[in-house]
Amino acid sequence: MSDLFSKNYFEIFNLPVGFDLDVEQLSVVYRDLQKEIHPDRFANAGEQQSRLAVQMTSLVNQAFDTLKSPVTRAHYLLQLAGLDIDHEQDTTIDPMFLMEQIELREEIESLRFNKDALAEVERLLKYVKDLMAVVMLEFSQAYQQQSFDKAHELSRKMQFLNKNIQELDDVAVAIEDELLG
Amino acid sequence: MALIQIAEPGQSTAPHQHRLAVGIDLGTTNSLVATVRSGKANTLTDQEGRAILPSVVHYADDKTIVVGHKARELAVSDPHNTIVSVKRLMGRAAKDLKVLAEHMPYQFAEHDSVVPRIKTAGGEVSAVEVSAEILKSLKDRAEKTLGGDLTGAVITVPAYFDDAQRQATKDAARLAGLNVLRLLNEPTAAAVAYGLDSGEEGVVAIYDLGGGTFDVSILRLNKGVFEVLSTGGDSALGGDDFDLAVAEWLMAEAGITELTATLNRQIISEACRAKEALTNADSVTISLQMNEQSWATELSKIKFNELVDSLISKTLASCRRALRDAGIDKEAINNIVMVGGSTRVPAVRERVAEFFNTEPLVNIDPDEVVAIGASLQADILAGNNQDGDLLLLDVIPLSLGIETMGGLSEKIIHRNTPIPVARAQDFTTYKDGQTALAVHVVQGERELVTDCRSLARFELRGIPPMVAGAARIRVTYQVDADGLLSVSSLEESSGVEAAVTVKPSYGLSDNEIETMLRDSMDHAQEDLQARKLREEQVEADRVLVAIEAALLADGDRLLEADERRLIDQSRTQLAEVRQTGKAEEIKQAVKNLEKTCDAYIARRMNQSIHEAMAGHKIDEYTTNKDAE
Repeated sequence: MSDLFSKNYFEIFNLPVGFDLDVEQLSVVYRDLQKEIHPDRFANAGEQQSRLAVQMTSLVNQAFDTLKSPVTRAHYLLQLAGLDIDHEQDTTIDPMFLMEQIELREEIESLRFNKDALAEVERLLKYVKDLMAVVMLEFSQAYQQQSFDKAHELSRKMQFLNKNIQELDDVAVAIEDELLG
Repeated sequence: MALIQIAEPGQSTAPHQHRLAVGIDLGTTNSLVATVRSGKANTLTDQEGRAILPSVVHYADDKTIVVGHKARELAVSDPHNTIVSVKRLMGRAAKDLKVLAEHMPYQFAEHDSVVPRIKTAGGEVSAVEVSAEILKSLKDRAEKTLGGDLTGAVITVPAYFDDAQRQATKDAARLAGLNVLRLLNEPTAAAVAYGLDSGEEGVVAIYDLGGGTFDVSILRLNKGVFEVLSTGGDSALGGDDFDLAVAEWLMAEAGITELTATLNRQIISEACRAKEALTNADSVTISLQMNEQSWATELSKIKFNELVDSLISKTLASCRRALRDAGIDKEAINNIVMVGGSTRVPAVRERVAEFFNTEPLVNIDPDEVVAIGASLQADILAGNNQDGDLLLLDVIPLSLGIETMGGLSEKIIHRNTPIPVARAQDFTTYKDGQTALAVHVVQGERELVTDCRSLARFELRGIPPMVAGAARIRVTYQVDADGLLSVSSLEESSGVEAAVTVKPSYGLSDNEIETMLRDSMDHAQEDLQARKLREEQVEADRVLVAIEAALLADGDRLLEADERRLIDQSRTQLAEVRQTGKAEEIKQAVKNLEKTCDAYIARRMNQSIHEAMAGHKIDEYTTNKDAE
């Protein structure tokens, strides 16, 4: 029986270290863990116990949050693999991809105040999500083959695409607000 | 695993003693208190049989304070000394008043304190003190009805309340002498009230339109676990704004350009009455008394709907945002729960039903549902309901960030992250020999710090002098289950704990609270001492009982003989000091016992995690192969 604080995020949920994971299964284990350690379970047990519960729950929440999203999960896997990924400038990234990013961003910005663009936003959203699915697959393969430099570049791409998705979501909400007054 | 509480022979805590715990809905317009008796949650009524306590406090020049219905009657005749909708001022700074107090008839005191103070005939009061009066009144009602002292209370707050507003609420409870078991988000409380009744599973949206705040939360219900997926809203939008919309229309119709405080109150009261009447009528007559003349007009439901239409649209925009944040389509929502008196407005119900394409649930009184949910949670937290499987997993409603170069906010904890949560961040010095560092914490979604709410500024002092860039200062931001932030820091290369002084930007300082506590007592010094002693005794009992239960459960299994002997020594020592010692001595003995038990407590937690995980070993290999 090892200490929660000495486990990595995958070990916390009893999952093998890897990119492909079943988020539904993760959620089930997450809820079962919370039933044991959430501070509300120790409302009468004195301050020491509460403090520990808060710390443990914070760790489990952080682990859950990190593993739940493929983008942060990929980033975390590379950290576990010992890559120094906090200095992002070092990575090279495919120039074609960057060109497309610039165009995509311009396009997203141009849609922001366009009331009639909702369909276009949804189309772009689908396009970016499809692209993300492809990159995720490539990441999974690169990671399994331990091609960490390749995986690192792919994780950077995932971050770009994730940002696109967030921006498109924002634009969609803004347009919907406009439309519905 | 919650600890089972077993009393030591001769001690007062009986094993099956029902602890008196209540849920309190501290609302903008109305407040309520509820409790669980014989397994059933009910609101508690006053002597006239009314559950609702208007959130109104009147301060008279003879220092008498009146709360509730009687105070509300004074609102029109004595507007300066009758405080209504004080919740809108909670956790706000004097400089926020320009926007907030535009329609408030009060006079604010010029003051050094960052917290605004209202001038009344009975003296200057802050929002925290006014709220404390409301809480005291509900506490008295509960203790009279239930016949004993309260162990604790769960107090609800809008999910969208920021750190300063939550802290202010907690301060008010402390001032009222209430032990806060938990600050619970109002929509979550409502979900509990509905979810426990129906044993529901699936995704629900809670639409909570109160007097002064609007909240929407998306929750997933699963085997007693209520997991908040996202939350959104507007902490300055509610039924009051409906009244204001009508009031502005009335003023235009009646050609009123100059307002006295009395006329302002009268117009707002009439507007509110008209709004309520239009729930069951197609049209209503409004009359005003001006300069001894009376003036009247008709307001139709159609016109009213037109006046409030943009306000309802604003709430639906928040709903859309919450759905996006949760990553949930409207179609996936199984149920919509309506909370708050303002959801009685037919136009609100119609547009919400239209938006979600589902008829909202209204079978629990929307005024009572939050207090009822809070009381169910209070019952469990107080330890009355051992087999209750209820667990509430909440999120932080607004992102936390710190100010960086150029006045930008760098997000440390993003909104809708599950709480409790901790994040660490490393800083370094930029000058040789630098020994202090200033950090500014803000809350909000915007890029610029000036567009966010300033929560606290703090200074890290006592950094050992080094060359620029050599120090590694790790600052940890911890948000607890109540959504409250605390900060700690450590200089890592030297292990020096840099002192953190958090200066709340809007809240009350600890000193101010102490002063208020002291002022509120007749025999200040002795009472404060007696109170401290009692608090320490209660904590000592709690710790002793908890440790004993733990030892009974697994002490033999998890402890070596030596360890057990040390723990028993500390227990005996605490039990003795608890009977005869001073507050400070008891506190020390508690700390001592806790220190002795440190490793044991951690071992127990890890053990229970280990047991919980054991059940998942088999599933793991069957389901992991599927990618998402």
